[in-house]
Amino acid sequence: MNTLLSDIKLVGDELPWLKEYRAAGRREFARQGIPTAKTEAWKYTKPNRFLSTDFVFDPRGNNKFTVPAVNLPFAAHKLYFENGVFLSCDDDLPSGVEILPLIEALMFRPGVKNKLGALADMTKYPFAALNAACLNEGAYIHIKAGTRLEKPLALISHVTVVDRAELYNLHHIVEIDENATAEVVEYYGYTGAPKSSYLVNIVNEITVAAGASLRHYKFQDEAFKAGHLALNTVKVAAGGLYKSFCLQKGADLARNETQVCLAEENAAAEVDAAYKMNGWATIDTTTDIEHLKSGTTSSQLIKGVVGGQAKGVFQGKIHIAPDAVKTEGYQLHKAMLLSDEAEIDVKPELEIFADDVKCSHGAACGRLDAEQLFYLRSRGIPKIEAEQMLINAYLNDVMAKVDNENIRSWIKLSLGSNLPA
Amino acid sequence: MTIPLLEIEDLSAGVDGKEIIKDFNLTINSGEVHALMGPNGAGKSTLSNILCGKQGYHVTSGRIWFKGKDLLKLSPEERACEGIFLAMQSPVEIPGVPITAFLKHSVNAIRKYRGEPELDTMEFIKMVREEGKKFNLDAEMIKRAVNVGFSGGEKKRLEALQMAVLKPDFAILDEADSGLDIDALKIVADGVNALRDGKRSMLIITHFQRLLEHVVPDFVHIYADGRIIKTGGRELAAELEQTGYAGFMKENR
Ligand SMILES: Nc1ncnc2c1ncn2[C@@H]1O[C@H](COP(=O)(O)OP(=O)(O)OP(=O)(O)O)[C@@H](O)[C@H]1O
Ligand SMILES: [Mg+2]
Repeated sequence: MNTLLSDIKLVGDELPWLKEYRAAGRREFARQGIPTAKTEAWKYTKPNRFLSTDFVFDPRGNNKFTVPAVNLPFAAHKLYFENGVFLSCDDDLPSGVEILPLIEALMFRPGVKNKLGALADMTKYPFAALNAACLNEGAYIHIKAGTRLEKPLALISHVTVVDRAELYNLHHIVEIDENATAEVVEYYGYTGAPKSSYLVNIVNEITVAAGASLRHYKFQDEAFKAGHLALNTVKVAAGGLYKSFCLQKGADLARNETQVCLAEENAAAEVDAAYKMNGWATIDTTTDIEHLKSGTTSSQLIKGVVGGQAKGVFQGKIHIAPDAVKTEGYQLHKAMLLSDEAEIDVKPELEIFADDVKCSHGAACGRLDAEQLFYLRSRGIPKIEAEQMLINAYLNDVMAKVDNENIRSWIKLSLGSNLPA
Repeated sequence: MTIPLLEIEDLSAGVDGKEIIKDFNLTINSGEVHALMGPNGAGKSTLSNILCGKQGYHVTSGRIWFKGKDLLKLSPEERACEGIFLAMQSPVEIPGVPITAFLKHSVNAIRKYRGEPELDTMEFIKMVREEGKKFNLDAEMIKRAVNVGFSGGEKKRLEALQMAVLKPDFAILDEADSGLDIDALKIVADGVNALRDGKRSMLIITHFQRLLEHVVPDFVHIYADGRIIKTGGRELAAELEQTGYAGFMKENR
């Protein structure tokens, strides 16, 4: 990874503050290094085995400027990212919506600069430092006060596999102003040899203003030798709602980390996720919900299906500050193991410093039910399909968390099967 | 000479190292209805499960032929596709899997195995609703998840409905009558009789004569201690009702 730290000419380097931001990222990444088993926050998901690869970072070097042929089966305003480069954005954006390449927004929109790094702490998360060092691509998305977005915004991040291991680095800043409502979908996919190795490193900084709501859906379907690291940092103001759902089924090593700060009264968050994998993959879901003020609520349902020698990791923290009375925080992780070698590691943490709060966490781990499997097979349904039906049934309740019906059927379909249930 | 539909030869089998079925023999021809009666724990459900390929049992010796095929070599789904159906004694609940979706999948899997085209969804749903009415299972119940929240008797009626939809060549009914009220018993019996077409065969496992008054068997077998100890006509069931198993066991020791 060290080659990353050498100087590359990036857009906007002539701006001293931007050049310094990147330099700070390089310093921080060098200081923290790649987490090892000794790093508490990374004790179950060990990126070192994966990151021994020297990934090449050369965002505009490969001239891959064709819009990928990714079809999403629902209407959306689409933003296309190809091999880590922001290519295009549908131009029929409704009023109240502003979308710019991130560097452009940083250079020409006063105020955006202050948002950069305001939520994602590069001193605590080494890959945010790496992200800062490589800051060159991403989107600035601004939904103005009172806007009700009809169609979701879809950020399509596609990789056309090349014959060297590359790093694709994206940083998005999303601002939802007072009383606005929006849906954002992130899709990560690829074309080319499924065994290709590449690394996607994402940082999202999202603010949801008072009375606003954001529904954030993500489907991670990277190549199965790829790495996918994402840090979602979110701040929600009074009466605002942040609701996210993430399905991960690709990559060899993947972590989707979501930090939500419920900063003002009655702010709410729902962070739900599902994951399903085989082989030797590690898929990590890490959450950190901070309740700062009274009346804030959060709930989390995370369900996984793990086969082969794969490993599912869930680390979930709920922090309730002394001022945060009359708050509610719920968390439940459930996993189904499909093989004897599959593994689940779960680390729930509750830090409660206030009285009069309702808080709970739970974890459960099970297997496919042999009686149910026999019942389906005895009616002629082939074993693989019967297993798929039971898996889909198992994930049904977490899928129901996806409010948008079209997106829900897309996500269900994407689970690898169009079977009933 | 036509081959028998099912031929069980000298079958010995068990579970957990315990021998339950011992040198068991039974031949069932096309169109025949056989009743199998025996005390609790004798191994009737074990036999049904082995016929359907459930895992966890070990067959120590013997062969089973179905339509001339070596049945023990087939997976549960292949056996179903070949035409075997088991109405289970204790059907399992499957939350999250709706009955209609499940049954459609099942019908189409069997049709695919036989090289037949898939059924049209609308037609299929109509057909299941019609059949459902016969078993007193309304559209609302059929929309539910498989067996979830069903009473004992409703589960039995759902098993019978599945049999009516899948139209197997050989149906095993493992205590299809237990837990049924008098009216429901009649409903299930009518459903079974409707499938008797002179070609289809059945193995009816029951503890009571009552079902056999509605579905009249060609043969009644008394099963105890791992094997059939006596075979007769329908009158054997009546006789058993008088003497109980103890009498038979003494007599046949
Ligand atoms: N999985 C198992 N592990 C251990 N013993 C088993 C298992 N399944 C069945 N048995 C035993 O095998 C014997 C036969 O059981 P089975 O269910 O076949 O009896 P049955 O004839 O169907 O009885 P009933 O009339 O009560 O339904 C019983 O003694 C039972 O306890
Ligand atoms: Mg039994």
